[in-house]
Amino acid sequence: MAKIRSEFDTLVHALAPELFRYAMGLCHNPHTAEDLVQETFLRGWRSRTDLRDSKAAKAWLYTILRNEHARLYERQRPEACDPSMLPDIPDHGYDTSAEAFVLRRALATLQADYRDPLLLQVIGGFSCREIGDILELNTNTVLTRLFRARKALRDLLTDDLQQEASL
Amino acid sequence: MNCLDFRRRLLTDPLSGDEDLLSHEATCTTCAPFARDLRAREIRMRSLLQNVVPPPGLAERVSLAARFQQRAERRRQWWYSAAAGVLLAVGVSMASLFSTSIERTNVALAQSVINHIEDEASHLRAAHPIPTTRVNGVFERFGAELAADIGPVHFAAECLMRQRNGVHLVMPGRMGPVTVFFMPGEMADTTMPVASARFNGEIVPTHWGSIAVVGEAGEAVDGLGERLAAAVRWPDPVQAGVSVPVVGELLAAGLVTQQKNG
Repeated sequence: MAKIRSEFDTLVHALAPELFRYAMGLCHNPHTAEDLVQETFLRGWRSRTDLRDSKAAKAWLYTILRNEHARLYERQRPEACDPSMLPDIPDHGYDTSAEAFVLRRALATLQADYRDPLLLQVIGGFSCREIGDILELNTNTVLTRLFRARKALRDLLTDDLQQEASL
Repeated sequence: MNCLDFRRRLLTDPLSGDEDLLSHEATCTTCAPFARDLRAREIRMRSLLQNVVPPPGLAERVSLAARFQQRAERRRQWWYSAAAGVLLAVGVSMASLFSTSIERTNVALAQSVINHIEDEASHLRAAHPIPTTRVNGVFERFGAELAADIGPVHFAAECLMRQRNGVHLVMPGRMGPVTVFFMPGEMADTTMPVASARFNGEIVPTHWGSIAVVGEAGEAVDGLGERLAAAVRWPDPVQAGVSVPVVGELLAAGLVTQQKNG
């Protein structure tokens, strides 16, 4: 049991930060994100025997977090889902520039089908095949969604930055 | 690779080091600025998303929560084990109590039958058949009736067996008189033997109670109980709305005297 405990702690320390980033990408609220991360690991701990393979564990934890977020979203629409209501996040290292604000708003506006694979690629560093496994999509669909996500972001950012410039 | 393919593939992963992509970018003056712009945006996006600093102590809090959960699980497991143990003990006790109770009931019923016969041994000396109408009259008090000939009956009366009333018959057998008790409400799970130094017989279960058939030692009573059960149409106590009279009611009605006259 002590060995499993120690392996679990190692996993928590290695993956908690990036899972938090992923949660932030989904819910845009640091408190909700922390709750999501905690719940994800607790669920993982309850099924700890499945966590022995750390490579598989990472994808599995991302899946749990995504499902937890979906469940939370079903129960209550988090207020932060409205991009205009995005909270100020006082964490150090957080980019507060206008460009960052525009980019965050664009990401929040992005349709979930496009945002999910993008976050998994950018934050989780997953390959298209791994993203397909997590989202239960085939690789071609993942490629299409990544393409559309970036194209949509590009369009949104171009519009927003033009508006910012015109102010 | 044409420009459309290049842009399509680059948009799926702008930081890809794919050689086809790089070689197209190196040779296409239209796509090169597009690629540079896309990569710059990608780097800014990645930097924005990856620079989110998790709250201090997040991992420690998660580990601590898991420890608490582990303790709660252990406690819960202990309680489950304890509850299961208690349930098992209660179950075993109940089963033991139940089986002992059934055993005692069975023994008590068989012994009551013997006692009843011995207490009213005078009826065994009845040597002449009584009219069928008289036999039927006794059954009618219970809403029952003879549906077939049961052979000669030397004695028939309503009697008290334990706390319920039934029909007491004495019929001739090969080895001597055979006593038959129709005992409504005395439910038995299976055929039970009734034996003493002098008597030998069995108690046969029916859907409305049981029938005791007891003769002298050596009397062949096998199957007699079943034949009598088939010959007497006994109402279902629930369906017919006929309740088995208890001693108090019958005594009050003067229909029976406790075991004195059977």
